[in-house]
Amino acid sequence: MSEEILKALTQLFAIITKQDGGVTEVERKYVIQFFRQELDQDSVKEYVELYDQFAGYGNEDKGEAKLTSVKDSVKTLAICKKINKTLTQKQKVVVLIRLLELVSSDKNFTPQRMSIIDTVSTVFNIAKEDFQIIEKFVLHENTNTLTDFEDILLADSKSAVHPGQAKHLLLDHLHGQIVFLRVKSVDLYFVRYNGDEELQLNGLLLKPYQVYLFSNGSTIKTPKSSPIYYSDVVSFFLSNLKTKNLSFTVKSLEFKFPNGAIGLRDVHISEGPGKLIGIMGGSGAGKTTLLNVLAGIENPSKGEILINGINVHTQKDEVQGVFGYVAQDDLLIEELSVYENLYYNAKLCFAHLTEEELHKAVINVLASLGLEHIKDLKVGNVLNKKISGGQRKRLNIALELIREPAVMFVDEPTSGLSSRDSENVIDLLKELSLKGKLIFVVIHQPSSDIFKMFDKLFLLDTGGYPIYYGNPVESVIYFKKATNQVDSDKGQCHTCGNVNPEQIFNIIEAKVVDEYGQFTNKRKVTPPQWNERYLQNFKLEEVTLVKENPPKALNLPSRFKQTVIFTVRDFLSKISNVQYMLINLLQAPVLAAILALVIRYKNDPDSSGYIYRYNDNIPAYILVAILVALFMGLTVSAEEIIRDKKIQKRESFLNLSRTSYLSSKLIILFVLSAIQTLSFVLIGNWILEVKGMTLSYWMVLFTMSCFANILGLNISASFNSVVTVYITIPLILIPQIVLSGVMFSFDKLNDMISTKGKVPIIADFIASRWGFEALAIEQYKNNPYQVSYYDLEKIQSKAYFKYTYLIPELSERLERSKFHAKDKTDSIQTILAKDLKVIREEINAEVNKRGLSIDVNSALTTHGFDERAADKVSFYLETLKQSYIKQFNDADYKKERLIEHKSANPEYNLTAYKNLYYNESLADFMKNTSTKNRIIEYEGKLIQQIDPVYTDPTNIAGKLDYRAHFLAPTKHMGGMYMSTFAFNLMVVWILTGLLYVTLYFEAFKGALSILGRIKFDFATTYLTQVKNKIMSTWQEIKIKKSRVATN
Amino acid sequence: MNKVYLGFIALLLVACDNNKQPSEQAFLDSLDNAKVQTPPVSKEVLGDIIQSIPSPLEISSLIKNSGVKYDKNVLNSTNNLSNYNTNYKRALNLGIYGTDLGYANIYSQNQDALHYLDAVRTTADGLSIGQFFDFNTIRSLATNSNNLDSLLLITTTNFEKINKHLQEQERSNLSILILTGGWLEALHLTCAVENKYPSQTFKERIGEQKVILDQLLLLLSFYNQDANIQSLIADLTDLQKQFEKVEVTYTYQESTMKEVDGVLMVVDNSTKKINMTPEDLKSIQAAASAIRNKIIS
Repeated sequence: MSEEILKALTQLFAIITKQDGGVTEVERKYVIQFFRQELDQDSVKEYVELYDQFAGYGNEDKGEAKLTSVKDSVKTLAICKKINKTLTQKQKVVVLIRLLELVSSDKNFTPQRMSIIDTVSTVFNIAKEDFQIIEKFVLHENTNTLTDFEDILLADSKSAVHPGQAKHLLLDHLHGQIVFLRVKSVDLYFVRYNGDEELQLNGLLLKPYQVYLFSNGSTIKTPKSSPIYYSDVVSFFLSNLKTKNLSFTVKSLEFKFPNGAIGLRDVHISEGPGKLIGIMGGSGAGKTTLLNVLAGIENPSKGEILINGINVHTQKDEVQGVFGYVAQDDLLIEELSVYENLYYNAKLCFAHLTEEELHKAVINVLASLGLEHIKDLKVGNVLNKKISGGQRKRLNIALELIREPAVMFVDEPTSGLSSRDSENVIDLLKELSLKGKLIFVVIHQPSSDIFKMFDKLFLLDTGGYPIYYGNPVESVIYFKKATNQVDSDKGQCHTCGNVNPEQIFNIIEAKVVDEYGQFTNKRKVTPPQWNERYLQNFKLEEVTLVKENPPKALNLPSRFKQTVIFTVRDFLSKISNVQYMLINLLQAPVLAAILALVIRYKNDPDSSGYIYRYNDNIPAYILVAILVALFMGLTVSAEEIIRDKKIQKRESFLNLSRTSYLSSKLIILFVLSAIQTLSFVLIGNWILEVKGMTLSYWMVLFTMSCFANILGLNISASFNSVVTVYITIPLILIPQIVLSGVMFSFDKLNDMISTKGKVPIIADFIASRWGFEALAIEQYKNNPYQVSYYDLEKIQSKAYFKYTYLIPELSERLERSKFHAKDKTDSIQTILAKDLKVIREEINAEVNKRGLSIDVNSALTTHGFDERAADKVSFYLETLKQSYIKQFNDADYKKERLIEHKSANPEYNLTAYKNLYYNESLADFMKNTSTKNRIIEYEGKLIQQIDPVYTDPTNIAGKLDYRAHFLAPTKHMGGMYMSTFAFNLMVVWILTGLLYVTLYFEAFKGALSILGRIKFDFATTYLTQVKNKIMSTWQEIKIKKSRVATN
Repeated sequence: MNKVYLGFIALLLVACDNNKQPSEQAFLDSLDNAKVQTPPVSKEVLGDIIQSIPSPLEISSLIKNSGVKYDKNVLNSTNNLSNYNTNYKRALNLGIYGTDLGYANIYSQNQDALHYLDAVRTTADGLSIGQFFDFNTIRSLATNSNNLDSLLLITTTNFEKINKHLQEQERSNLSILILTGGWLEALHLTCAVENKYPSQTFKERIGEQKVILDQLLLLLSFYNQDANIQSLIADLTDLQKQFEKVEVTYTYQESTMKEVDGVLMVVDNSTKKINMTPEDLKSIQAAASAIRNKIIS
């Protein structure tokens, strides 16, 4: 209390007491006593003098009494106005009570005195009803007049209930009566004891007939009956508000960590509604674990948690929405405003509310938390602060608050907050509990005021041992007593009423001191010992089981609606991040421009300009475009889920649909990818003059990007830190480059993975290979120039290969076989068999069997082969060759005529078309012209190496055999051939679909955690072994060295 | 989600249809009934005539031996490659580039030779006779670039192989076009050299071509169903008219035997006299370049 106020009060005291007969000795005593309570010894004297001076004590001149009263009235008014400016309403009520007490100290209730007090109460803006009851409470020692007020609680040993509205608390063996008053408007409680027993208020003697402030966390102890706690008193007055019937029971709860360590042991809790329960414990004692288990997030290994008889863990559906959970972490979306954060959260929880109702609800909650004025501010993050830590915390609580769940779990709401913010937050929780909610709060180093606000305290010691469960202030006494400390019956400071919760932990964790006075690591009392003591001292009072269903505070929208809400929310948060949007939208065109400009060069044969046809970089461009699409898709998505991890945890707690969440991510990412890839294609193809292929390019790149998006989401969902995610990206992208089929030919890979003539299976999981193949083939085959001639050229190519390479090769082998057939040595026979098999299979694979006059299957074996058979086969091969030559010539003729026919159209210029649409470098790549061997033998088969783009897949094993050589123009599936472009895109989409499934079930995360666990144990044991070995050898070396030294 | 995928697949199917025009298909179908023309002459006859036409490489070595300097500008630039997109053009220019390759080779202009080798390979690839310029051949050409003889051998044998192959394949028309191209380029080279360094030898050489042109026209006439060849014949007939003014007189003398390095050789003592006015030469040059320009552009 400031000097100024004290002076003002002194004046008020003086003015009142000097009315009507001046100051009596009793009154003066009261004033002195009041000063003693508030001040130190020296100041008391000073103020008493001041009081005496104002009151005219010792000045027996009574003649001026009447004159001064008018003056006094004016003075009173002035003083009260002064007080009004500085004191809170609560303090003013206290002042008023003091004044009344002063008057009542000598029972001198003259009208003048009373009128001054009346004036004071009016100026103080104290409600008439409140003043009335306060007056009655302070002045009337006889309680009978009070029984009509509902804000009165009478505690006595009479079992008979008083008539009237006053509450009654039965206290056995209590002499006299304790009267509690609630001043409703300011929510203050006062107590007065009318009796002669020695009662203690917070460890201090409760003097009879005096009014005491019954503050937060106060306790009254009676000699014979049970103590009265603040929360008990409050609950009496709030009983009217109890609309929610609730029983929350925890029975012999035990929790084991995945590694087998026990996190919680034998926890019993039983609570009803309207309680604020603090959970405390040293760090690592298992507070958050307890909270998580209580909230149903983690499953206990033993025991059960029942809410209204429903098991929280096994009947999750029935308790859905009953709990609210405020994690220690921030669950806010940084880019959204305070209002939006709450709005979308509410929208996801309340399907039944209209927009207007939602808006109202959000505004109400914001207003009640004092956040309304910052509702349009962005939340920001810790580094880029927009709103204060306290406001963040309150907003986090608001997310749950808006649902008004019946039971709330709050994890360390005050950590990192200023003491004022902490108090505000706990005030808020207290208020909620007073509204009938059951609230569990994990708290760390609470201030005295906060500590006293809890109705109950649950203490855990290291290892998950419960060691205290009861009134918070009592806990100090309990632990003091347990260790036989001085002053053990006082929980709070005599003078200031402060409780020091630190004290508890000092006692619990007190260390043994060794003979040198140094603290050892050993505790005086171990957790199990504390637990033992706890079990002896505490008997759980079970609340009566409520049978009705717990009130639900959740009405989830349909999955589709959730998707829409998630999408809008995500979209808003993204769009508000200007940097992010700019980078993401500009990235693609800028990359395209850089890439295309770098690889566009003067390549006209006259070196005078640029012609698409002679740009040697086109195949590389296609590959890079695909890699860019993959990279962009991956980076844009890789952080998506990990960033939302906390929010997602909360949303899964609310049982929001994961499908909707993921769908919203996909919608946003796919749209972004579509824009990115489209801008990339438009810019890149425009600069490089790749014409007429925009849609195909976009479709492939978009597909790649979408694949990468889902892959990125998978990574994002699998790892627990952003760094890991970004480290993983090269691990995923490099194989996309290596196994794209462009950098390294599939035929020239390690024998372990390579199958000659087919794309290796491992590359089937590489999206870039599908994408590149699709795009390269599409670009080569279906450009406006090539499309007219491709089919004819395909016929030509096939025929050309057969008559130039395959048939001569077969003829050669046939000749060789003729020669070998005469030699009967084993090694020669093996070669013969092999050669014959090759010939046989090739002939069998041939559709055209004209001119074949023998059964090759019997003739072309080591037994059936002879000169005659050789001649017949040779004849057949020659016929076949001629037929292929004819095929070639026919196609050639047609092609020439087609060119003539097309050239007849003046708009068609063959060379111009080719320059515009045909790329030589790509053509070389697609035709594999640089290969050394046009035909190779692999596992008894002859494999064509040239013109892959003209060769349909061969050697198909079955209906489901989709495998083909790289750059095959068609793919085989289910007995049909489909274009590679369509097939490849389909494959990538199937892969994408599979990745969606793994994403949905978090398959990679599961696999990783299994893998991680095995490896971890193995590695640690191994490492410790190694360490021990090194240490022991080191010791030996040391010993040896010392020996050497001593020698 | 399923709908999205289904939709996408539908889109795929729509998007990847052929952008080939239906009229082209109809045109191609109409060709099915038409017969591919086979030349009415036998392979043997053709082969004999082709053999009698001297190799253009001879001219190149003649030019070099006469001490004339290498001049790149008279050759067909490889930059023109992009224009050769039909069999007709490819074949003619394959001949031209072949001659140019020989010319550059003989002068040991390795860089240019490599360019021409590439041009030859590209045009040959376009004619589906790329197997004669496969990896191994090119490698041996590249590694033997300082060995002129082997280069010459490889290229000449290659051309012989190509001719044979095309004949076997009943595509002798291409063979003849290659030959015509080669011959025309040789004529062009000689004319260009003669323009700068007039000499009797070159003049005679040019005059001699009259006979060869007659043979070429005879060969080409077998394929006159082809519109392109028809126009080529027309152009060459024009050239033939210019040659008609040239008089070639043979003076026959008995051949004699001579021993060279212990080997008996027949020495042809007959002489040819070529009468050609400078105007004649000019008009031949003009006609030849006109045809060549038409072909190489």
